[in-house]
Amino acid sequence: MSARRLLTLLRREVRATLRDPFTVAVLILVPLVALLSFSFVLSTEVEDLSLGVLDASGSYESRRIVAELEADGSFVPRPYATRAELEAALVSGEISAAIVFPPDFQRALLARAPGQPPPEVQLLYDGAETVLAGNAEGFLQGLINAAGAELVGPEAARGGVVVEMRALFNETLDGTPFMVAGTFGFVLSFLTTLITAVAIVNEKIGGTFDQLQLTPATNLEIFLGKLLPLGGMFAFDVVLMMFASGFVLGVWPRGNALFFVAVSSFYVMTSLALGLFFSATSATAAEAVQKTVFASIPLVQLSGFAFPIRNMPMAIQWLTEVLPATHYIRISRAIYLRGAGPLDLLPELGALTVFAVLLVGGSLRSLARRP
Amino acid sequence: MSEPILRAEGLTRRFGDFTAVDRLDLAIEPGTLFAFLGGNGSGKSTTIRMLIGLLTPTEGRIELDGIDVLREPRRVRDRIGYMGQKVSLYQGLTLRENVEFYAGLYGLEGGRLAERWGEVRERMALAEAENERVEDLPAGIRQRSGLALATLHGPRLLFLDEPTAGVDVDSRGLFWERIQEEAERGVTVFVTTHFLEETDYCDRVAFIDAGRLVVDTTPEELRARYSEGYRIAATPPPERAAATLAALERAGFAVVERGPALALRRATLDHAALAALAEAAAMGAELHVEPASMNGIFTRLILENASAREAA
Repeated sequence: MSARRLLTLLRREVRATLRDPFTVAVLILVPLVALLSFSFVLSTEVEDLSLGVLDASGSYESRRIVAELEADGSFVPRPYATRAELEAALVSGEISAAIVFPPDFQRALLARAPGQPPPEVQLLYDGAETVLAGNAEGFLQGLINAAGAELVGPEAARGGVVVEMRALFNETLDGTPFMVAGTFGFVLSFLTTLITAVAIVNEKIGGTFDQLQLTPATNLEIFLGKLLPLGGMFAFDVVLMMFASGFVLGVWPRGNALFFVAVSSFYVMTSLALGLFFSATSATAAEAVQKTVFASIPLVQLSGFAFPIRNMPMAIQWLTEVLPATHYIRISRAIYLRGAGPLDLLPELGALTVFAVLLVGGSLRSLARRP
Repeated sequence: MSEPILRAEGLTRRFGDFTAVDRLDLAIEPGTLFAFLGGNGSGKSTTIRMLIGLLTPTEGRIELDGIDVLREPRRVRDRIGYMGQKVSLYQGLTLRENVEFYAGLYGLEGGRLAERWGEVRERMALAEAENERVEDLPAGIRQRSGLALATLHGPRLLFLDEPTAGVDVDSRGLFWERIQEEAERGVTVFVTTHFLEETDYCDRVAFIDAGRLVVDTTPEELRARYSEGYRIAATPPPERAAATLAALERAGFAVVERGPALALRRATLDHAALAALAEAAAMGAELHVEPASMNGIFTRLILENASAREAA
């Protein structure tokens, strides 16, 4: 081996690497972003979690317990007047846990005769979010027990308050449906973008894109000509994955399967448009793939696919909202685990529509761009 | 003289501080085989991309078949055919499938396509390649296939950007015959090439250097202005040597060398020169006519232009 030759090879490689701003950015930013975002998103602390409160007791004691929960900083209470409203909020994902005080809570707590069971509050939580539910369940139970015990004083602390836990969906807190529904989001986000990312750039390199742009075909036609066949194939993939997870893993959507396929197909088109945007704005296939991989890092960490968004700091939670995958994964889990329908998911469907308009518009503009 | 089918006025394209094309004016009449030449980075490809609407000029206007290309780029698409440096065929498809694809975009289907493709296929000698996948086709056939696709919809103006790059000499010759046929059929051909000798196939030659048009004329005029013209070797029968020499001198041939074999030069071969050569041949002279090398002409053009720029 010649040290001189090796040095020559090394020098060229370092020069070429350092002169490519995108590669330099990836080399510096990816480790930093990955490190920082993992440290934030992997936190298991329960913080600012929306907690529905149905207080049929309306007593000082029930309000005191809610105030204790709020003061801790882990929960943000939201009052609801009826059980139906409370459950609807849980289905739509507006809240992830709820506490229900019975009408006779005060009497049962303060005037409990010896030998009688301690008063009961019901704690409902969204079992669809298994990780979050696991974290919140024990935490919430501990807080209520402590607050209840304080209210009745040390002499009556034998029982304090009994907390009846009930998961509304995914009662067994089985992690498989959670992951299955999330995997749709991951696959449909990553694979669609990756496949389309090279579509136009390859045509540019092969010379067919120039030729295509000189034919009477409009940009919209070229765009749809690329997107619709791939969209059809991925829609087929959705059905295939649905049957595979149903027959092999025993996980079927609780909600309407057709609605799920329709929403997934719509999301696929949004995601394909992002891939086309990357492709149309890249000079080489390698650049397009790098952009896709770069965009996929937050997909794993911030979309809620692997880590619960509600556990993340508020600033990061806001950041997750600008990822289309976040909204699709919420929809997917809501349909799969909570049986949600279109009306329950209006805000998420609206967000996806906004992303679709922006990405399709951006993609079309990038196709039409004359340098 | 008919109205130009392609007219560019003050065409300029800047990339930041760099001016790739600088106030270029062109006017090309219908049916002209127009060669557009220049070295690497001279602004040749930038110009062609502006003319066909793939690149927006910084300044200037382009009119193609009476249509303002910048205002109505879509309207000219039916009128132009384009073949880039890379032949635009979709890999994985047969030639026939490529034809059907492009024809479909121009609305050519059914009987009209069969008729049109039958005619083009015959002219380009592509019958045997029709059902081959394009990646399996030899370079020469791929070039002809590219030309076939560019002309399938019957464009009035054909843009060919280095169409013979990477093709062997024989195939290049055949390819130029096809291009000339298109021009004879009334199609205006705008062609760029790196093979300077290929400009002899053309009616007009323009040369761009550092973004500026240096010359725009006929190959004949180019030879007259930038070379010592044609070199002619004439070997007359000894008994007709004097008469042959006199006839050639009368027609303006300069005698470089006398003897049994005459070495002559002439800037152009006009009607009088051709008549004198015919007369010499009739007197039994053996003739060999060699045009000035286009390579030499363009080398001189580049050097002169560089000196002029430096002086300016």
